[in-house]
Amino acid sequence: MAKALPGRPNKVAKTALTHLVLVLLSVAFVTPLLWMLSTAVKPITETMTSPPRWIPSHVLWSNFPDAVKFNSKELGYIPFLVYARNSLIVTVLSVGGALISNSLVAYSFARLKWPGKDLFFGATLATMMIPFPVLMVPTFALFKWLGWVGTFRPLWVPMFFGSAFSIFLLRQFFRTIPMELSEAAKIDGCSELRIFIDVILPLSKPALAVVALFTFMGAWNDFLGPLIYLVDQTSFTLSLGLQAYQTQHGGTPWNLLMAASCLTIAPVVVVFFLAQRFFIQGIATSGLKG
Amino acid sequence: MNARASLALGSVAAALVAAAVWGEGVVTRQAIPDRVTVIYWEKWTGAEADGMRAVINDFNASQSRIFVKYLSISGVDSKTALATAGGDPPDVAGIWLDQVCQFADAKALTDLSEMARESGLSRDYYITNYWDPLFYKGKLWALPSTPASVALHVREDLVPPEYASPETFPKTLEGMDALVDKISKRNEDGSLKMAGFLPSDPGWWNWSWGFYFGGKLVDGDRLTVNSPENVRAYEWVASYTKRFGTKEVQNFQSGFGNFASPQDPFMDGKVATEINGVWKGNYIHVFKPGLKWFAVPFPYVADHPELAGMSDLSQDILVIPRGAKHAKEAFEFIRYVQRQDVMEKLCLSHGKNSPLAKVSEHFFNTHPNKFIRLFDKLARSPTAFSPPQIGILPRIQSEMNVAFQEINTGQKTPKQALDDAEARLTEQWQIYKSQVLEK
Amino acid sequence: MAGLLFASPWILGFGVFLLYPLIASLLYSFTNFSILRPPSWIGLSNYQEMAHDEVFYTTLKNTLLYVVGAVPLGTVVAIGLAMLLNSKVRGMAFYRTIFFLPTLVPMVVLGTLFLWIFNGDYGLLNAAFHKVGITAPNWLGDPAWAKWTLVLISVWGCGQAMVIYLAGLQNVPVSLYEAADLDGAKTWAKTRHVTLPMLSPVILFNVIMGIIGSLQIFAVPYVMFPDGAPARSTYFFSSYLFDNAFKNQRMGYASALGWVMFLITLGLTILAMRISERHVHYEGG
Repeated sequence: MAKALPGRPNKVAKTALTHLVLVLLSVAFVTPLLWMLSTAVKPITETMTSPPRWIPSHVLWSNFPDAVKFNSKELGYIPFLVYARNSLIVTVLSVGGALISNSLVAYSFARLKWPGKDLFFGATLATMMIPFPVLMVPTFALFKWLGWVGTFRPLWVPMFFGSAFSIFLLRQFFRTIPMELSEAAKIDGCSELRIFIDVILPLSKPALAVVALFTFMGAWNDFLGPLIYLVDQTSFTLSLGLQAYQTQHGGTPWNLLMAASCLTIAPVVVVFFLAQRFFIQGIATSGLKG
Repeated sequence: MNARASLALGSVAAALVAAAVWGEGVVTRQAIPDRVTVIYWEKWTGAEADGMRAVINDFNASQSRIFVKYLSISGVDSKTALATAGGDPPDVAGIWLDQVCQFADAKALTDLSEMARESGLSRDYYITNYWDPLFYKGKLWALPSTPASVALHVREDLVPPEYASPETFPKTLEGMDALVDKISKRNEDGSLKMAGFLPSDPGWWNWSWGFYFGGKLVDGDRLTVNSPENVRAYEWVASYTKRFGTKEVQNFQSGFGNFASPQDPFMDGKVATEINGVWKGNYIHVFKPGLKWFAVPFPYVADHPELAGMSDLSQDILVIPRGAKHAKEAFEFIRYVQRQDVMEKLCLSHGKNSPLAKVSEHFFNTHPNKFIRLFDKLARSPTAFSPPQIGILPRIQSEMNVAFQEINTGQKTPKQALDDAEARLTEQWQIYKSQVLEK
Repeated sequence: MAGLLFASPWILGFGVFLLYPLIASLLYSFTNFSILRPPSWIGLSNYQEMAHDEVFYTTLKNTLLYVVGAVPLGTVVAIGLAMLLNSKVRGMAFYRTIFFLPTLVPMVVLGTLFLWIFNGDYGLLNAAFHKVGITAPNWLGDPAWAKWTLVLISVWGCGQAMVIYLAGLQNVPVSLYEAADLDGAKTWAKTRHVTLPMLSPVILFNVIMGIIGSLQIFAVPYVMFPDGAPARSTYFFSSYLFDNAFKNQRMGYASALGWVMFLITLGLTILAMRISERHVHYEGG
């Protein structure tokens, strides 16, 4: 049995220190979320105590179904499930639109030749500098003119036309795929569309996962869009609807609001946890550093 | 394309189409066939919404030509303005009296004068203090849904017995201030434990303190935000942060619970007195029944006894936006709400007073607020005031709020804060006149 | 050509959702547009008004202060976290998730949660200070402190940038580190001479995106601080723009504000890139 080589004492200390720092920072980062969870299971009288208590006297798991109830005494008419459905609709459409449009466009930038391509790509990058507020008024006027205000369409239709960040990300990734693969397929007589679907897309799953995740998060958490375009309360998305919990005339039941917030975050957390390796790989190989 | 890829793509496409269709279904207006559907956007949610929904159900059941559909809209004022601009407004919108001039100036409302006259509504049907503000530039722009008046609420158990009744509580502001000094309590570490009164609680009328001192915000065509009376009023406001300490007040306030809960500062005993509206009685009834309290008119300054009986009057109002598709039917519904029995039912459910001149004994006797007669009397008081009729009122209110916060946090003296607000508002008023009014 | 066809959604989108609104916004900025009436031309009046609009300067100051606070701090923390996570400790996936979690939280939830945590009387933060014997300020009610709560919230949410830095770090060739080790370099020296230069393009990218994003801050203050309370110390540029457009019904003025924001964004971005020219090392030949 070989004797374990004595590692440089620095190395052991360094690893221990790293671990310690990581643990401390994790605690700092996760504390607000734990507090949210703690408040979510408290009875209302224990939410505002000084000093704050972490463990409630009895854990009210019933806060979760209570927060979701359609018409409760504390909350009145706050249809959490309706909001969730609306968020789902908008998010599914946004992610679908983003995946389809951005991959097609990025493909054209990365693998095809066409007049003005490089100039247009430069312009695309430049648009990332345009802050949304400067576009807000005319965009609103445009949707008003189309009669789309009060519907979900202003929230997901633009996603079917591409967005600069996702185009950039996917284009960088597509460029890392060897041209030989495309050329071989072309020799076999495939159209560009065939090459795109059969050759490029299957190899791009990590990058597509990144686009899907970023778009999902953006759509699920979007606040300003629904604030401007959604009118009828029954059409609100979760992000907007949660605010209704807060500003309601009948007072804020903090514990129920936190319970509803936990439920809102849950899907995104689950998706991220499952997909994170995929996701990190996607960012790494898309060569964002370029 | 291989079978698996086609299946994948096909199902993605199907899912997207399904989602889109589902989404369209959510936001389509559902109309009842062979009835005219009147769309009604209102700010209320929860119990207040239920109160109005009950009235709507009665209306819908009482006839078969019109169906009123109630929608809870947050930001109902700006949404209504935008919808009106787009030519697709609701038929009835429930906004606030404070906005009626802004909307009228923007030509966003339907003139109700003719329809009101034809249906028998006139000034003597209402408490004149509520009717007059609905008239602006010679036309009637709105009718009330629920009004309110404010008074000083007092905790019987937190003031000394010699003052613990409506008859014996100090009538002047100076008297109240002296009482506050006597009864306010601190903890050992110097933080506030109980404040006799706090101008910043609940903080919904920060813009109107000047009125209680004889000051006005608008005089004809001029803004008088920094008039001597207003400066005096806000110096009185500042005296409270001086009295208790700026930081102590801020810390104390940040621990106030929400107004519709037992942790409300008045119900929780953090303040002994509080200026608040007629609905407070209802909240106390729900969240802390058995609480010993009474209401008195807000005290007047000793050198202005003629101001006795002042109250800040507000109203939730119903308007018909310009371009509403069913204006006539909309007015029929609004007229229904003005019927004495209907109006009383609605105001009872909200715990508010009635805007009508005649009030039934039944209303007074079954009202959840034991002091409803006082609030009714205050609404009729000649010294009661409503928001000034000027199109930039929302702007004025927000500037006054900022000034109040600057004073309350000790950032500026009252004179400074009001002078700055006056300067900004005068400029805004000039711009408003040239850009909105002269068209 | 196939290229144009593939790119067509974006060409359309670019024109309709970016170019058109940008130009229209400029045109609207020269009008008085109350949305209840057609826009009417007023020339430079909006810009003249802006020049002596106290609220404009207040929101500008608040926004720039926020950017100056949030971007450098966020960058340092994100890079630091990424470097820690890059050190091949066990449980990296777990830590990574913890640090990334805050970015998954919707703005509204963030706002209400931190309203809670920063509460002067009942908040977690002040309770912790109290235990240690420090009297902390009333974060939310004190105009001097309120906007810094937003900086803290922003730093808490640096997970997205951290992940990008992490990917960048994993692309740094190990050979460079080995060479540095042979030269006897310590950790800090390695960081300064190997890690940061190799990471510099990513840093530039994230800093620029950070500046652009921070300048537009809207949702969290909207939820936490109504009307920029206390005393407009948390009133930001986007909030003022939004209020002008949708509350005061002054879309012309709002458009003018929007263009000023765009020009400031442009200016800061160009500044960042100029500064970076001397410091950013691109992996060349």
